[in-house]
Amino acid sequence: MPSTKSPRVLWLTVPSLVWFAVFSVGPLAAMFVIATLRWKGLLYEPTYIGLENIGRVFADPTFHAAVRNSAIQVAVAIPVMIPLAFMLGYHLNTKPRGYRVLSVLYFSPGLISISMTGMIFYGVLSPNGGVNGLLRGIGLDSWATAWLADPSTALATLIAIDLWRGVGWTAVLFAARLASLPAEVIEAAQIDGAGRLRTMWQVAFPMVKDYVRTLAMLQFLWTLFTSAALILLLTKGGPGTSSTTLSYLVYAKAFSQRDLGYSQVVGVVLLLFGIAGMFLIRALLRSPEEDSR
Amino acid sequence: MRKSKGGLLATVLSWSYALLLAAPLYYLVVSALKSNIEIFTRPFALPAQWLWENFGTAWRTADLGRALVNSVLISGVAIVVTLCLAVPAAYALARTDNRLARMITGTFSAGFLIPPFAALIPTVVLAIELGLFGTREFQMLFLPASALPLSVLLLTQFMRTVPPALVESAALDGAGHWRLLTRVFVPIARPGVVSVTILQLLTFWNEYLFSLTITGTAPDVRTVQVALPTIVADATNLGVLAAGTVLAVLPVYVAYSIMNRRMQEALTAGAVKG
Repeated sequence: MPSTKSPRVLWLTVPSLVWFAVFSVGPLAAMFVIATLRWKGLLYEPTYIGLENIGRVFADPTFHAAVRNSAIQVAVAIPVMIPLAFMLGYHLNTKPRGYRVLSVLYFSPGLISISMTGMIFYGVLSPNGGVNGLLRGIGLDSWATAWLADPSTALATLIAIDLWRGVGWTAVLFAARLASLPAEVIEAAQIDGAGRLRTMWQVAFPMVKDYVRTLAMLQFLWTLFTSAALILLLTKGGPGTSSTTLSYLVYAKAFSQRDLGYSQVVGVVLLLFGIAGMFLIRALLRSPEEDSR
Repeated sequence: MRKSKGGLLATVLSWSYALLLAAPLYYLVVSALKSNIEIFTRPFALPAQWLWENFGTAWRTADLGRALVNSVLISGVAIVVTLCLAVPAAYALARTDNRLARMITGTFSAGFLIPPFAALIPTVVLAIELGLFGTREFQMLFLPASALPLSVLLLTQFMRTVPPALVESAALDGAGHWRLLTRVFVPIARPGVVSVTILQLLTFWNEYLFSLTITGTAPDVRTVQVALPTIVADATNLGVLAAGTVLAVLPVYVAYSIMNRRMQEALTAGAVKG
């Protein structure tokens, strides 16, 4: 919208830019500085030690476990979540019987905070909780286990919670996006005799591919970065290091083990992982034509 | 819709997943009215005896009354600050189309992608430096910053829908930026303002890690999200914990039941803008 006095009006963006710089960009930049310090807890004076922290972090088996766990977490969660959510979103968009109930349920995890999700699953997964009760009820007693306290199930359980929250919510988003497509295209495909699967993957999917890519990137970043909260509430990274992710390691090193330099080296690694993953997703889901809106 | 094999499969899958979503919520609600023994022995049955006192116990144990006030205060102030910062910025960006404006938009787009968690620890340091560690005030200032990228981008989109002719005629009448903003742009972009308000209020209300580490767990400042997990102890009364969780989730569900269409629009708009 051209206007003669427009360049000056950009002054109005200054307060928000200053705010953003102080509270968001500043801390992000400070991370790189803190990564070069020996800093034993927030109440102590830091000293500069350069790249020494990096060597310490990369030699630490806990860090290796965290890299592995984070890689498993995103490599399982995202490829399961996105296609499943797309299919459910497509289904939701065909307005099947009871779709209102479905969409309210799918939407629910988006309303419940991470700390409440943690508390819900604390009960559901406790040794005498709902999941084990259900397994015993149907005669699978031997499957019952302390899901969060068993090293072989802790990480898988956390990933399952990621999926529990993420799939439905993402499906609602896909449904909203698909609803904005011209209905004739899909109808035309069906009249041409294209089956449901073909219509879904060969007609609808390419039309929203850029949106699939956006949601895949967002879910990837959120899963990678914010797993600390749920882990803090449910497993504290354990047993051992079996559910320690990079995100939780950043938190734990800073607040429980009072090693801020270490924590922020991991923070930088996490950021680089995030950026690398984003480029990977972008490359994998490149839209065939630029005009695919 | 023509029924087909694929359709049947989709129906089965979609309802199985719905059941999977509903089961923990059902378990939560029935547990809220039971004793530990009953939760353990009859996990999915309706309570034999309805223990309403679980709610009272949870309310007192976690001091939820004060926590609710803190949450309302923090979310309320933060949303006002967010709108005061984002609305003028969006107005400026909607009215300008040059390199600088595109650069500013680009900055916010990049900021939208990076989850705030990335800079949690330096943010704690910032709070200490500002002398605001352990206070509600820091969250009131910080949360708007984390909300700015998405808020500005969404509001700009809505403000771009203002017809240029309307702006010109108002400008001919001698309207300045303030009049244009309050009389023309905000009224036309109202659905956007509503969406941003709902979306960010929910985000602020649900925020956990920053509240935990910066505002902290002191009963006089902590939010609901921080207060509730303090019920967890070595011998947790799971019924009380479930009752507390129900109480803490309830405000959001009440809001959702009153304006579910609006809320769904707001939250999907938030993610559609990538």
